[in-house]
Amino acid sequence: MSAALLEIENLTKSFGGVHAIRNCTFAIPEGQVVGLIGPNGAGKSTVVDLVSGFGRPDSGSVRFAGEPIIGKRPDVISRLGLIRTFQTPREWRNLTVMDNVLLARRRFANESLWRSLTRARRIRREEEADRAAVRAILERFQLAELRNELALRLSGGQKRLLEFARIAAAEARLIILDEPMGGVNPVLGARIGEAVGQFAGEGRSVIVVEHNLPFIERTCHQVVVMDLGEVIAQGPFSSLRDNPRVVDAYLGMDQSHG
Amino acid sequence: MYWVSVFTEAAIFAILALGLDVVWGWGGDFDLAFYGYLAIGSYMTFVLSIGKPTPPVEYIIGWHLPVLIAILIAVVVVVGVAAVVGAIALRNLRGIYFAVTTLGAVSALYLLVENYTPLFDGYNGVYGLINPGQTALNLTYNGYRIVFMVLVFVLLFGCYLLVQRLSRSPFGRMVRSVREDERAAAAYGRQIFFTKYRAYLFGAALAGLTGGLFAIFISAFNPSAWTPAELLLIYAAILAGGRGNPRGVILGVFVVYIGFIELTRYLPSPASRPDFGPALRQVLIGLMIILVLRFRPEGIFRERPGLDTGLAPAGRPRQARVQVLTTREGQAADDGGPG
Repeated sequence: MSAALLEIENLTKSFGGVHAIRNCTFAIPEGQVVGLIGPNGAGKSTVVDLVSGFGRPDSGSVRFAGEPIIGKRPDVISRLGLIRTFQTPREWRNLTVMDNVLLARRRFANESLWRSLTRARRIRREEEADRAAVRAILERFQLAELRNELALRLSGGQKRLLEFARIAAAEARLIILDEPMGGVNPVLGARIGEAVGQFAGEGRSVIVVEHNLPFIERTCHQVVVMDLGEVIAQGPFSSLRDNPRVVDAYLGMDQSHG
Repeated sequence: MYWVSVFTEAAIFAILALGLDVVWGWGGDFDLAFYGYLAIGSYMTFVLSIGKPTPPVEYIIGWHLPVLIAILIAVVVVVGVAAVVGAIALRNLRGIYFAVTTLGAVSALYLLVENYTPLFDGYNGVYGLINPGQTALNLTYNGYRIVFMVLVFVLLFGCYLLVQRLSRSPFGRMVRSVREDERAAAAYGRQIFFTKYRAYLFGAALAGLTGGLFAIFISAFNPSAWTPAELLLIYAAILAGGRGNPRGVILGVFVVYIGFIELTRYLPSPASRPDFGPALRQVLIGLMIILVLRFRPEGIFRERPGLDTGLAPAGRPRQARVQVLTTREGQAADDGGPG
């Protein structure tokens, strides 16, 4: 197994008197796809928020590529190479599909107010290379023809694809997908699974928070199971089937969903 | 000469609107302190260029600088004040909370200027900046006003080019992404506060410049010249012209300003009710805002995204969209979207 890219240790957070997560500890190895599953209210989204800087834990530590990141702002963590999504695709609605993905390309140096005013032509030249790269990415997600549409005009499924196009453009080291299969049909689901596999193939680590267990089984090397704010099991998906705690907390419940 | 004055004033307000549009149109922050920045810019231009006050008039500084340098310093002062207001209001406050905070800031400023006479002579205000440079340029009074109008239009054109360039730049794109979805912008590495803050200060700088030009234009400035209600006209103009589109904003100011000010002048104004005309004007502006929001919320010119003209075929915006994949969620989102 390769070295851990993300190490979460004893992470604890409560809202009011409710423990959202308690002594949460697990690690994400470099280049692996890890599923994070558990019933509603298990604390999965809280873990994602704390790791990506959208919340502060009461105690515990998170290291990304060896660097402690607790207390850092979301944008700082993002610039270190950690990109997260949200449960709904948060596209920039009144920007074009092209602009959405160009923004995810993250050429921060060109976004300075002064440079934007004084180096406009040079920036536009430099941006041509990015536009070409973005066009190729959009092609991959079948959005190329829609690239001059405002993002708000896309269908729900296309918005999911746009989210994946943004992630592909961002070239992150760690990608956290918060319920990527929410409201997604089987055809699109297959394409999303493909994209996750591709990210892993490029050497990126991926965390998938998801209720769709067949999807988890298909795409993830490992699974972390949470319940009531605690990690109750961890390992390859096949090893969890027989774990009575897991079956009790989650898997058993899923049978009714078919 | 009357029309020279009307067009000069409209052009000055167009510069103000360009600045406000960066804050509101691109950044999405409904700033009610903005007119205060024009006022500070104006006051500072006066006290830096008209010399020592003669009692009982009193105001601060009282230097005798050339007016263009005075305007430059005024812009710096305005940006300084905006830096304080923005640092407080933009950090965590959004929407109505931001608006109320900026309204509080401008109200405090207003009361301070009105009641603390050593600052800018209270209710009486400052005056005496009459056609600076007229003798040096060897112009008649009317000639000077025309030259000034041309200067204002040149400045407006310069500001337009500047704002337009910024609008299409990566900076403009970043500011808009923060307006559209802050959390997503942060997740992709954008500093929310700093992004908004820079847009705010850029807008305030244009307001400061406007204040300086306004000082030359009306040659006297007192609190009655900048009631917060004036700002409503600018917002209405941006809305009608096209929020987020610099060309639309300028057109909006000319249409609304000249349209409303001029057309309502010919309305009957009974002697017993001299405030009838101005009051009716406010009503008409309100009516226009409602009609624009109902029938063309994007304004005359919509915000225009830069289009990508690559090799692969690409549809123009608003063309019939290609429905590849549809989900229940997608339909729900479409139902909620603006028509």
